[in-house]
Amino acid sequence: MSKEATIQPSTTTPAKRTNFVRRVIGAIGADNLSLLFALIVLIFLITLVSGWFGLEGGNKFFSWQNLMNSLAQAIVIVGLLAIGETVVIIAGALDISVGSIASIGSVVAASVLVGAGIFGALGTLTTGNVVIAVAAGIIAGMLAGVINGFIVTVLRVNPIIATLGTLAAFAGFAFLLAPDGKPVGVLTQPQFTWLAQGRLLINMSVPSLGGGKWTGIPVLTVILIIVAVLVHILMTYTDFGRAIYAIGGNATAARLAGINLNRVRVLMYVISGGIAGLAGVLLTARTTSGNPVNGVGLELQAITAVFLGGAATAGGKGTILGTFLAVILVGVLNNGMNLLGFNTFVQRVALGFLLIAAVAISQWRQARAEHVRTKIVAEN
Amino acid sequence: MTMTAATLPVMPPALPGTLEIRNISKAFPNVQALTDVSLDVRPGEILAVMGENGAGKSTLLKIINGDYQQDAGTLSFDGQQISFSNPSQAHKAGIRVVYQEPEIVPGIDVAENIWMGELPKRFGMLDRGQLNKQVQQSLVEYGFENVLPIHHYGDELSSAQRQLVEIMRALKSGVRVLALDEPTSSLTDEEVDRLFALVRRLRDEGVALIYVSHRIKEILRLCDQIAILRDGRLVALQPASELTEDEIVRLMVGRKLSDVFQRQRAGTEREVLKVEGLRSNWHSGVSFHINAGEVVGFAGLIGAGRSELAKVIFGELPKSGGRILVNGQEVTIHRPDQAIVKGIGFAPEDRKREGLVLMRSVVENASMAIMRQVTRFHFVRNRLARSIATNYVEKLQVRTPSLDQEVGKLSGGNQQKVVLARWLAAKPKVLILDEPTRGIDVGTKAEIYRLIDALANEGLAIMFISSELSEILGLSDRIYVMQNGRFTGELSGADATEEAVLKLAMADHLSAAQTGIAAITQKDSSQ
Repeated sequence: MSKEATIQPSTTTPAKRTNFVRRVIGAIGADNLSLLFALIVLIFLITLVSGWFGLEGGNKFFSWQNLMNSLAQAIVIVGLLAIGETVVIIAGALDISVGSIASIGSVVAASVLVGAGIFGALGTLTTGNVVIAVAAGIIAGMLAGVINGFIVTVLRVNPIIATLGTLAAFAGFAFLLAPDGKPVGVLTQPQFTWLAQGRLLINMSVPSLGGGKWTGIPVLTVILIIVAVLVHILMTYTDFGRAIYAIGGNATAARLAGINLNRVRVLMYVISGGIAGLAGVLLTARTTSGNPVNGVGLELQAITAVFLGGAATAGGKGTILGTFLAVILVGVLNNGMNLLGFNTFVQRVALGFLLIAAVAISQWRQARAEHVRTKIVAEN
Repeated sequence: MTMTAATLPVMPPALPGTLEIRNISKAFPNVQALTDVSLDVRPGEILAVMGENGAGKSTLLKIINGDYQQDAGTLSFDGQQISFSNPSQAHKAGIRVVYQEPEIVPGIDVAENIWMGELPKRFGMLDRGQLNKQVQQSLVEYGFENVLPIHHYGDELSSAQRQLVEIMRALKSGVRVLALDEPTSSLTDEEVDRLFALVRRLRDEGVALIYVSHRIKEILRLCDQIAILRDGRLVALQPASELTEDEIVRLMVGRKLSDVFQRQRAGTEREVLKVEGLRSNWHSGVSFHINAGEVVGFAGLIGAGRSELAKVIFGELPKSGGRILVNGQEVTIHRPDQAIVKGIGFAPEDRKREGLVLMRSVVENASMAIMRQVTRFHFVRNRLARSIATNYVEKLQVRTPSLDQEVGKLSGGNQQKVVLARWLAAKPKVLILDEPTRGIDVGTKAEIYRLIDALANEGLAIMFISSELSEILGLSDRIYVMQNGRFTGELSGADATEEAVLKLAMADHLSAAQTGIAAITQKDSSQ
C-alpha cells in the first residue's frame, strides 16, 4: 500500500504529459499523423538514397534555395485546387472541372488586367488594376461553380458526369474568352507578376540552410496558407462545414434533419470554383500569360492529393489539414525525384501508385472500423 | 383460449417429400424472432402461415430458403436432415421461397430470366429458338402465356409478373417445396384466380406448399392447414375447415395488454396539426387532426402508406393535393427544413439510413435540427450547442462515453434516443414518430413509452406510427387505421381492441358485416 502511495505523486506528471500528447494527436488526427510519418520516411529515403549513390540531390534538399524556391512554390496551384476539391469530396461529390475553371480564371484575369479580348471595353477603366483583375478571375470561377451547382441540384445530374461535362465545356470556353484563342501576356505588369515572384519577410534574420541564404517566403505560398486556414475555419467552425460533413455522411438523414441540400451543394461548388479561379489568376502571374491551357490536367493532381489526404471516397470524412499534408507529400516526392535525377515519367508512375496505395489503405481502415462497430453493436 | 404447444396435434410419421420443421428458434440482437416452432409441410397440401407484422413469418421463410440459419432446431426433408447456407443450396434441394419482390435481372427478357444459369447452348452460343420454345410451352401449360409475355425485359415487369417469373423458375427446376410470401398483394382478381388454379394444380401434383398471407378469406378458400404465429411462437395449427375468420383474428392477436403502458390521457381540444384531403402517389384523400397533448396512433399493415404519410407531411415526399394546417394556419411545405420551421419534427423509421449521420458525433447529430439557434453569423457556438445537447442527452439517459462519441458506435436504443434528443431540442409543436421502438431492447422501449407520455402531457401533439398493436393500443388517445393509402377507421384509444384494429387494417379482405365493430369508422376517409 505504501508503495502505491509513493508512486502516486510521481505518476501525475507523466499522466499529464500523455494527456497533452493525446490531445495533440487528437487535434492532428490519426490519419494525418500517418501522413506526417510518411512525409518523414520519404525525406529520410531521399537523403539516404542520395547518400548511397553519392548523388548531390540529397544535400540540396535541405537548402532554402530548394525548399522555398522549388518546393514551396511548386505545390501552390495544385494545393489550392485540392483545398477546394476537399470540400466537395467530403460532401460525397466530385468536381472534375477545377482545371478548366483555373484556365478560365487565368484568361479572365489577364484579359481584364490588360484590357484584351471581350474585356477590352472594360479596359479603359481597369487596365493595370491588380485588385480588379484578381477579383475578376475569382468571380469567373465562382460563376462557373454556380453552373456546376445548378446542373447537379436542379438538373439532378450525377456530380461526376456533370463536372466531366463542364470540364470539357469550360476548357472550350476559356479559349473563346481569349482573343483569337491566344494567350494574353501580362509581362508588362510587374505589380501583378509580383504575386508569383514576390517574397515576404526577406529581411528576417534566419540562419542559412544547406548553403542557401534566406530569401524570404514566396507570396504564392503565403496565399496558399491563408486560403487553407480560411477553408479550415469554414469546415470546422461554421454551420456550412457541419452541413458538408453531414451530407457526405448521410444525405438523407441530413435532409430530414433540416439541412437544405441544394443550397449547401451550390455553395460548395461556388467555393471550389472561386478557389480554382484564384489558382488560375496565380497561374497567370507565374507564367506571365493568361493562357487557356494553363489549367489542363491539374484536376487529376488535385483529386489525387485529396484522397491521399485521407478523404473518404464515399464522403463524410476528410480534413483540410490532411489535404495540405498530402499536397506537401506529393510536392516532396516530385521534388526529391527531380533532385535525384528521375525523369517526369517515372514521377507520374510513382504518383499514380501512391494514390492507389492511399485509397487502398483507407478502404482497409474503413473495413476495420466497420468491423469494430458491428462488434460493439453485437455486444450491446 | 389460445393453444399452447402441448395441445397441438401429434405429428404423424412424415410422408416422403415432407418438409419437417422441428423446434426452430432464431434470435436477432434484441429480438427473439422465432421460439421453438415445429411444423410439417406435407406434399399435396397447402399450409397457410399467418400472423401479425413481426410475428416471425418472414424469418421462418428465410430459414427455409437458406437466407438465415436457425440458432436451434432442425429442418428435414424426405427424412434427411438438411441445412442450407444460402438460397441456391435450397433451390438445388427442390425448396424455394417466392418473395414479394423476387430478384429479376432488369436488362434481359422473361425467357432468359426464367432459364438463368442454365440457358440452352448451341455451338457455344445462346440457342434462343430452343429457349423461347421451351419457355412458351411451359407458360401455355400453366395458363400464363398472356400474363407473362416472354420477350418483355425484367424492368418492364409488374410485381405480379416478377413473382410469376420466380414461380416459373421454381417449376422448371422441379420444385418440391414451394413457399409463396404474400403473393396476391399486387394481383388483380383475375390474376389471383389464375394463381390459385396454379397453386391447386401444384398441390395435386404432389408439391408441398406454404402460403403466407394477411388475406383471411383467401386463405380459407385455398388452404388445407393453417398455422398461426404470434411473437415468434406457433399458437395454432388446425385444418382450415375448423377455423372461422373471427377465430383466426383472435388467435393472431391473442395476448393481453401488458402493464408497461401508463398513458394519462390528456388530450385537449386545441387542434395543432390538421390535414385535409391529402393526396399523393400513395394517398387518396386523407384527412385527420391531432390536438395538443394528444398521442394519435396510426395503425395498419406494412405498406398501408403510414410512413409515406409522415414523409409527405414533412415535405420529404411530394404531395399532389390537400391542405396541411399547423395551429390553424395553412402551411406550405416542400422540403423538410420548411417543415421544421413550421414546428414539425420527424423521427424516421430507419434511423441508420434516414435518421443519423453515423460517422459524426452525438453532439453534431443532436444539434443538427437547431443549427439556426446555435450559430451566430454562421459560426457554431460550440458551448451553447454542447450545453443543449447535454441537457437532452441527460434527460433521455443516452448511454454514451462522451458527446464526441461517433453515433454509429452506440447501441440501437441509444441511437434512437439521439434522434429523439435532436427533435426535443428543436422544440416542435408536432412530433412524428415512425416506429420509434423498432429493433430496440425492452428496457429502452419502456423508457421511450414513458417519454412519449410525458411529452404529450407537456402539450406536444404526437403522431405515433407503429406496427406493434400493443404499443398503439397502450399509448394512443385516438387511433387511425390505414389501408392502401386511406383511412378505414378511427377509434378512440379507450374503446379500441386489437381485434377491431386488425379488422380495420385488413378491411378490404373481410366481409363488410365484420368491420361493424369500429364505432366511428369512415368519418374521415369519406371526405
